[in-house]
Amino acid sequence: MQRKNKIGLVLSSPPGYSETFFRNKIRGLQEHGYEVVLFVENLDQIPDDLNCSIYAASNFNGGIVLKVMTFFGVLIRSFIFHPMRTMKLYQLDKADGVSITKRLKHIVLNAFILKHHVDWLHFGFGMLAVNRENVAQAMQAKMAVSFRGFDLYLSPLKHPNCYVNLFQKDVYYHVLSEEMKDDLTHYGIRDERIFVITPAIDVSFFKRPEALIKNSDHTLQIITVARLHWKKGLEYTLEALEILKKTGVTFHFTVVGTGSEYERLVFAAYQLDILEHITFIGKTSQKDIKTYLENSDIYLQYSIQEGFCNALLEAQSMGLLCISSDAEGLSENILHEETGWVVPKRQPKLLAQKIQEVQSLSDSQKATIRHKAVSRVQNQFNLERQVQAFLRLYQL
Amino acid sequence: MTIAVYSGEIPSTTFIERLISGLVEHGQQLILFGIRHGSNHYSNSVTVVGYRHNRFSKALHLLKFTLLLLLFKRDAKRRLDSFLKASDRYTLNDKVKCYPVLWHQPEIFHLQWAKGIADWAWVQEFGMRLVVSLRGAHINYSPVANTNLAEIYHQTFPKVDAFHAVSEAIAREAQKYGAAKDRIQVVYSGLDIPNSERLSKHASNSTVFRLLSVGRSHWKKGYVYALDACAILKENGFKFKYTIIGGSDSIELLYQVRDLDLEDYVDLLGQVPFDTVKAHMTDADLLLLPSVEEGIANVVLEAMSLGTLVLSTDCGGMTEVIVPGVNGFITPVRHVDQMADNILAISKLSESEKAVIRDVAHTTILKNHRTGLMVQNMLQIYKHATKE
Repeated sequence: MQRKNKIGLVLSSPPGYSETFFRNKIRGLQEHGYEVVLFVENLDQIPDDLNCSIYAASNFNGGIVLKVMTFFGVLIRSFIFHPMRTMKLYQLDKADGVSITKRLKHIVLNAFILKHHVDWLHFGFGMLAVNRENVAQAMQAKMAVSFRGFDLYLSPLKHPNCYVNLFQKDVYYHVLSEEMKDDLTHYGIRDERIFVITPAIDVSFFKRPEALIKNSDHTLQIITVARLHWKKGLEYTLEALEILKKTGVTFHFTVVGTGSEYERLVFAAYQLDILEHITFIGKTSQKDIKTYLENSDIYLQYSIQEGFCNALLEAQSMGLLCISSDAEGLSENILHEETGWVVPKRQPKLLAQKIQEVQSLSDSQKATIRHKAVSRVQNQFNLERQVQAFLRLYQL
Repeated sequence: MTIAVYSGEIPSTTFIERLISGLVEHGQQLILFGIRHGSNHYSNSVTVVGYRHNRFSKALHLLKFTLLLLLFKRDAKRRLDSFLKASDRYTLNDKVKCYPVLWHQPEIFHLQWAKGIADWAWVQEFGMRLVVSLRGAHINYSPVANTNLAEIYHQTFPKVDAFHAVSEAIAREAQKYGAAKDRIQVVYSGLDIPNSERLSKHASNSTVFRLLSVGRSHWKKGYVYALDACAILKENGFKFKYTIIGGSDSIELLYQVRDLDLEDYVDLLGQVPFDTVKAHMTDADLLLLPSVEEGIANVVLEAMSLGTLVLSTDCGGMTEVIVPGVNGFITPVRHVDQMADNILAISKLSESEKAVIRDVAHTTILKNHRTGLMVQNMLQIYKHATKE
């Protein structure tokens, strides 16, 4: 019988209850007989429902003396108990021109991973692989790196050239959309090394009987489920809603999610004189999100930057009429004028215009779009399909 | 009259420090309470009652004032403790902040940041007059987003002895939270402008139009709108260079510049010394203030004093400074098309038209925004507060 792969997943912390992507992936792999272990940088809380081993990086809290003792303790233990791998990592880093201080730091940083055996070392985010470019090779494991929108498009702005070393390595990449794949190839990554595996959702949960789908008679119910972060484009969304109000459309906008931009958005709504038409729900459960979606007509995802977007899949699966921006993966998430509508980003006038156009469609036209969206999401973005795609990657 | 100018930090922001030095020049005795950073650079008229931001310094500070109060103001301490307990503020940090104020008991306690008002309402119980400054975010949007803060304002504003508003607009906003109109006095920011200072502006030799914004990369500065306007300008074939001093640490702005393909048109710089800012201002063809919220932006006053044309949004109190087409230009907040149109129109002005506007702008600053005037008006507020 063929031995099943052991996957080491590197994350910043164990996936929380709402981080469905990693939870679904772990569960899916386990259901197919794979063993998954987690390597995390911070272990504040240990989830009791993941059913996998979790190993955390050394804790460097405390005063300088304690930090120094921890550093050398980890370093010496790594050389004594795992000499081959530790030396290998040291030599690989040296060959990359890494300074001796950084070589030693890398050993300490990665000692908690080095000592385990895995077939694949899969970094859940691109930035997690920075300063760990040679760890998988030192462990004689294959290396995979997942890039999400933030990693690929925003992190390099803050840390210029952060992926230069990574992109020289023998790595398989997972991205969320064809556009991201295309952008990654511009860094010189070979096509066959990049796997597009789109996000997936629990389509059995996010569905509603057709009989329950109805168009609001009076107040147009609009909804967005998103972190309150600038990249979600909510300020532009509010500007579009101001235009709607001025043109006499009666609407209510529900925003589900929390984030650092709450004050910015409330003030924008206040200044645009639409605050009374908006409810900021904050963070809530999947069950409540489903209820909010059930009570809405139009879903907006007018992001500035977006890898792919699960929330938009969930809204389509629930039969909402969905309008998104054309940010990165969104125009693959929605097929324009087939399963929803795609509007150029940063153009609130165009968004307002599109909302009115959608509102004025006949019921049968709306139903056609809804059917196509539901059908496409249910068939192409379900969890099993996603797991199968990861299995193909790990069988390489 | 002894006045406590309280911001919680010593030294404080540029404009608060300007107020402090102005009051000292007018012979006032001041007390500064709070956390000390750096060395003491104040004159003898200023008593600094501060502590360093470490446990040891705080502990010594607390011990000193606890003993003084126990020995010489036992009843007052008991009353303050009761107040702190009743308002659930009887913590070591609160005592470190409050005991020194109770010991010194200045006649005027001038709170610079309105958000902290719940911590200082007690000073009136001990005969101190509470003066509160109404500045930017503290009034314009924080209480809109934070209903608890709005409730605190509703409870405390009606009891405040006097308010200093940085603009008429913010004075109106504060009245929504119960601030009495007759207790608010508008005092505009003041700059130190030597009488001999002459406009240093010359006709531009640059082949591109040089736009400048100055300020930290906070959303309220509205740089995203300025960059959207830049995309329109670029599309129109307009040759320009836009510099944002203070914008280099924002991923949002960095991404937007790249996303809109503006790398050749926009420079995002980090913080630079004030002299460098002035040099940029002097070189710029137009200072752009794309903010969505401001009290009155000091950077606009600085630019006007240096003879640089200004295009500002109509946010906050900006229209109280700028008369469109007379001493500067105004564009509606969050309207990028009009912002771009206005920039184009300004770039087409003749040198003589620009010179007239620069002269009027400079006169505006000399007339309404000098430190001396600001200090005189502040002293009136203090006198008014102590008379009541």
